[in-house]
Amino acid sequence: MATASENPSTPSAKIPLYEGSTQFRHWRFSPEQLAETRSIMNANAVKAIRDAFEADSAGSSSEVLFLSADEENLLVKLYASKVSQLCGHFRFPEEVEATAVTYLKRFYLKNTVMDYHPKNVMLTALFIATKTTNHPISLEAYANHIPKTLPSDVLDLEFLVAQSLGFDFAIWHAHRALWGMWLDIQNLPDLRMDELRQAYEIALKHVRASRLTDAELIYTPSQIALACFSLASPSLASAWSRSQFSSAPPSPPSPAPSPESALLEILEPIKSMILNHGVLPDVEAVREVDRRLRLCKNPEKVVGSSAYKRKLDEKERKAAEKRTRKAERIRKAIEDGDPFGTALKEQELDDDDDDDEEE
Amino acid sequence: MDAVEKANAATQRKWAKDAKIGEGTYAVVYKGREVSTGRQVAIKKIKVGQFKDGLDMSAIREVKYLRELKHQNVIELLDVFSSKTNLNLVLEFLDTDLELVIKDRSLVFLPADIKAWIAMTFRGLEFCHRNWILHRDLKPNNLLISANGQLKLADFGLARDFADPGYKMTCQVITRWYRPPELLFGCRYYSTAVDIWSVGCIFAELMLRTPYLPGESDLDQLKTTFRALGTPTEEEWPGHSKLPDFISVGQFPRTPLRDLFTAATADCLNLLNKCLIYDPKKRISAKDALNHPYFFALPYPSHPSKLPKPAKKVSPLEEMDGNVDHSGPGPAVRANPPNKLKRKLSTAEGGADPRSIARKLDFTQQSPG
Repeated sequence: MATASENPSTPSAKIPLYEGSTQFRHWRFSPEQLAETRSIMNANAVKAIRDAFEADSAGSSSEVLFLSADEENLLVKLYASKVSQLCGHFRFPEEVEATAVTYLKRFYLKNTVMDYHPKNVMLTALFIATKTTNHPISLEAYANHIPKTLPSDVLDLEFLVAQSLGFDFAIWHAHRALWGMWLDIQNLPDLRMDELRQAYEIALKHVRASRLTDAELIYTPSQIALACFSLASPSLASAWSRSQFSSAPPSPPSPAPSPESALLEILEPIKSMILNHGVLPDVEAVREVDRRLRLCKNPEKVVGSSAYKRKLDEKERKAAEKRTRKAERIRKAIEDGDPFGTALKEQELDDDDDDDEEE
Repeated sequence: MDAVEKANAATQRKWAKDAKIGEGTYAVVYKGREVSTGRQVAIKKIKVGQFKDGLDMSAIREVKYLRELKHQNVIELLDVFSSKTNLNLVLEFLDTDLELVIKDRSLVFLPADIKAWIAMTFRGLEFCHRNWILHRDLKPNNLLISANGQLKLADFGLARDFADPGYKMTCQVITRWYRPPELLFGCRYYSTAVDIWSVGCIFAELMLRTPYLPGESDLDQLKTTFRALGTPTEEEWPGHSKLPDFISVGQFPRTPLRDLFTAATADCLNLLNKCLIYDPKKRISAKDALNHPYFFALPYPSHPSKLPKPAKKVSPLEEMDGNVDHSGPGPAVRANPPNKLKRKLSTAEGGADPRSIARKLDFTQQSPG
């Protein structure tokens, strides 16, 4: 250590903060990647559920009309909008709401609504969001305020949701970026405060609408925020953009477009996404999807069904096998005179996670 | 099996648990390894099943922040997986911690060694602060040390993002001896300066080889602090007497740091002094501290690999429980356990650690910090 300042070999010292985030590294897609991710996930789900139907009774899946990726997404969108209502009821801050919506969307990039209904997942996602954003509420109080919901309904899915999120709990939000712009922009000369405030309010409405879209899975929070500002007031948005670039050293004149105009160009697809998709889905269309979902949901996830029981039996059989293997290992180890079984192979050590150190 | 469960099982298979090296109320820590490479790791298994509110706040904080922070002076979270009702954090394995180093009377510290440890502490902390994260529990035993001597900030169970101005946070954070006076006075709006105070206390402790401000209660902590640094005046810390839990504990004169730290250089005391300024607004930032002349003056910081380390002693588990006594300053400190986690968790279990109180309050609060 020659000096106390940043070591240049530290990668974390050189990249912009946002690019070090899990949001940037794990949850950023092109529109095409996003569509592909969803369609692959949907196809795999349909195949697995078809197999489950067939195992139950051969030929039974041929009549089933499974949901498409778009239909799944429509249902998720409806429940994303319900998060907002629920947060209003609990008076949770905006950060909780935005975080829960992000969790819900990310969850359904890994899971199908035919396995887990978004109504339940939404409740768990919101409960986790209260904790990850530092606004915890007791599970009892939470469940008590939601009709027909038991604490166990919320908790049963907690691990699954956390796993599906890859334990990436930290979220960077567009409404925070917008707040930053609102603070910044007040430093610009010759502004009328009332006009500015009005633009901010409108932009915030657009940010909220953007939560119903895929924007956050494709664009950065600051891009979304600027697009929303631009929807509210194009002139203020470009004034802010200019002020950002004017603080950078002037670049030599070149035929390439200025960084500012390049930036404003990125905003166009975001704006149209928010205007076209940032609206509540048609209730009738969702109702139809939900009706069909009742017929095509995974029988293995329906408590009490024969497929569910079969899956449970299979799990139990595997666990029993594992216990037998383990008992065998211990017996052998004791016979070898070493109760700790030093010669265990790696594979065997891996799969026993808890049973060997029961408290 | 669902794709997500399969992925979790695949993650689980990457890591093997070996010997248990520590156990506390909420977690068990194992030595483990990466199956494919044999690389040593520590696996912290948090028993979630016993929490009525599901995943607990300190586990969530630790996972949330460590997933985001990658820096050579912050402990690396390699993986997370769940098993049954447990959450498992796979962390890089670190040999020892700064508290064990300080307590090992057989070790001699050179001024360059102290400079290296404090520099690494500030580098890790500057990275946290740059990422808008407050650590809120800095103390020697949360500064772990790797085999090659790198110091790493660990235990993010009390960490949080900076709050917006005007948003209340809890003042029940930071282990008492390292807690700044603004928190002892019940300040609910605070920032990075709270961590800097802790670093100041650690800095002093490295030179003294004993905790600098070992208060016996929260009230006594104020007295101990003021006895050492003088009772703050309204001029040097405007507004402090208006803080919610302000209490007058007597007038103590300020003794120059030089009287206690006789061997320190002027640069060294200047930086220490700036970490321990009463007014949080005037306290030095981690970034400015890194640019302080102390770090650029001779002697330069020791290379991490040359830093003193406690000799490896393999002691049986039972003995590790014995080393919870923070009060014994003398050379009577026992042989140190090779791993801090054991000792720390058993401390929390005993309830003697003021930190355990903080955690409890923090979890149940309605408008927490």
